[in-house]
Amino acid sequence: MKKLVFLFIAGTLNIGNAAELTQTEVRVDAHDARASIPTSLTREKAIRQIPAISPGEYFVPPDVGDIPTSKYGDMVKLGRNIFIDTQHYAKRYVGNGLNCSNCHLQEGRKAYAAPLWAAYPMYPEFRNKIRDVVTFEARVQDCFRFSMNGIAPTLDSPEIKAITSYAHWLSTGAPFNKELPGRGFARLGKPRDPTPINGEKLYKESCASCHSLDGQGQKFTNRDGYMFPPLWGKDSFNHGAGMSSVKSCAQFSKANMPLGKGWTLTDMEAWDICTYIWLQDRPWDPRFGWFFNIFAPPTGGN
Amino acid sequence: MKIQTVNKDNIRYKCLGWLIVSAAIVTLTGCSKSNAVDQSAVSAGQLLAEKGRGTTVPGCVACHGAHGEGIEAAGYPRLAGLDSSYIEKQLKDLARELPPAGVVIESVAKDYSKTPRLYSDLTVFSPGLRHDDIMSPIAKQLSETDIHNLAAYFAGLSYTAKPVAADFQVLERGQDLALRGKAEYGLPACVSCHAPDGEGFGADFPPLAGQPASYTVNQINKWQLGQRDNDNLGLMKAVSDQLTDADKLNVAAYYANRSLAVKGQ
Repeated sequence: MKKLVFLFIAGTLNIGNAAELTQTEVRVDAHDARASIPTSLTREKAIRQIPAISPGEYFVPPDVGDIPTSKYGDMVKLGRNIFIDTQHYAKRYVGNGLNCSNCHLQEGRKAYAAPLWAAYPMYPEFRNKIRDVVTFEARVQDCFRFSMNGIAPTLDSPEIKAITSYAHWLSTGAPFNKELPGRGFARLGKPRDPTPINGEKLYKESCASCHSLDGQGQKFTNRDGYMFPPLWGKDSFNHGAGMSSVKSCAQFSKANMPLGKGWTLTDMEAWDICTYIWLQDRPWDPRFGWFFNIFAPPTGGN
Repeated sequence: MKIQTVNKDNIRYKCLGWLIVSAAIVTLTGCSKSNAVDQSAVSAGQLLAEKGRGTTVPGCVACHGAHGEGIEAAGYPRLAGLDSSYIEKQLKDLARELPPAGVVIESVAKDYSKTPRLYSDLTVFSPGLRHDDIMSPIAKQLSETDIHNLAAYFAGLSYTAKPVAADFQVLERGQDLALRGKAEYGLPACVSCHAPDGEGFGADFPPLAGQPASYTVNQINKWQLGQRDNDNLGLMKAVSDQLTDADKLNVAAYYANRSLAVKGQ
């Protein structure tokens, strides 16, 4: 607090001392290099290394054509359907416009996009978020509650059973209770504190052409649903979702975005963009009432 | 303990309120939705497409079919029902001169003293480059208005695809790549940008369904060789670099095999 007061006084004193500047000059203390130099032109980007995936580097789940023809196979198929078309197959539990596969890319198979084959064998697991050990089924419930901004299906519901079967089948041959490469999201460095000013510029440059300038995604013109998922707004995940935290969002974006061009953002660019996204309006955190949702800062900012 | 319910009544009342307000606005102001398509542009485009102009610009119908459906055997792409801004962009890029080899383009002027250093939204546009031995000379003869007219005309045409038969294994592999991509190599599925039926989405993602297989393969080849560089964010360049020769053939055959009905804009 003392520091703040000092800064304030120093700031007010400084106003009178500002020297005359020409139109092309910038005061040294006002010029923020990171916000104004286009990062797409910096040398860092030109020499950026995009990792090539060699065969066998990541676990390969079984092929879709190999789903067994049995009662179990039917459940796996239902789970896959729910996973890639949640809007249709688990409609009653979903409160926004997203599908599971919007974040768990490529039917939950893609490494560093929270693949199911790496997650399923790790459960039951301690979760810091709720400070308890959770089963896989309970974890899926949380996805519905936060990321889908909906209502958690009960543990004995066919939806949970089907998704668990699908994850179980995808993990065929995966080692049990062993952390696999590609699990969860990419690990990032954080060279400095992120800035949403740079993030906004980067968002407009490399995200807005699909997710649209207002972050509402793009809807199909010839059918229901979203072609490109909304990143904020009423049809997006709520403030309690994992993707709503700047860290998870940055880790996801680094490895996967723009789609097909993963690993081309620098760590800092991913942090900046996600800080900008985090600042936007989205549905309330269902864990809190209206008071905390309005007056308390949303979680996931650090 | 908090029990979650969806308060549907509340939403209904809100909707009802908005309905009344919007109905009032509509009745007061009158429903005046302007038609975005300029009919004179369409007819001028049609004239140019059918008759051509002089000896330099042959009619588009000669290669792209009487109704813009393309010619399957020769690999001339269909134009009917494509997004008008996509057609415009392609024609402009085809007309652009390729830079001479070995020249480095500076995106920002090097003399920084002449550049105001306080700018809010600087965006760097890469000049879209696309070269075709047949089409580039023709595109250079077209004026900006011609391009706009032609785009308006072809975007307005309806199109029904004629599926081309192919080997079932080729189709199966093509379908696998088109719908699922290669997750283990991080290659996204075609449908994740080109829409679920390959009908294309918006100005950046052209349709794949109903395009001649040889045209699709040819374009991916050009991306791989660096002869085409005009895609949004370089997405297709990144994807093309990961496709094998078999992938190209399979997926092109799959999309030439799809049925599709497009209503003109």
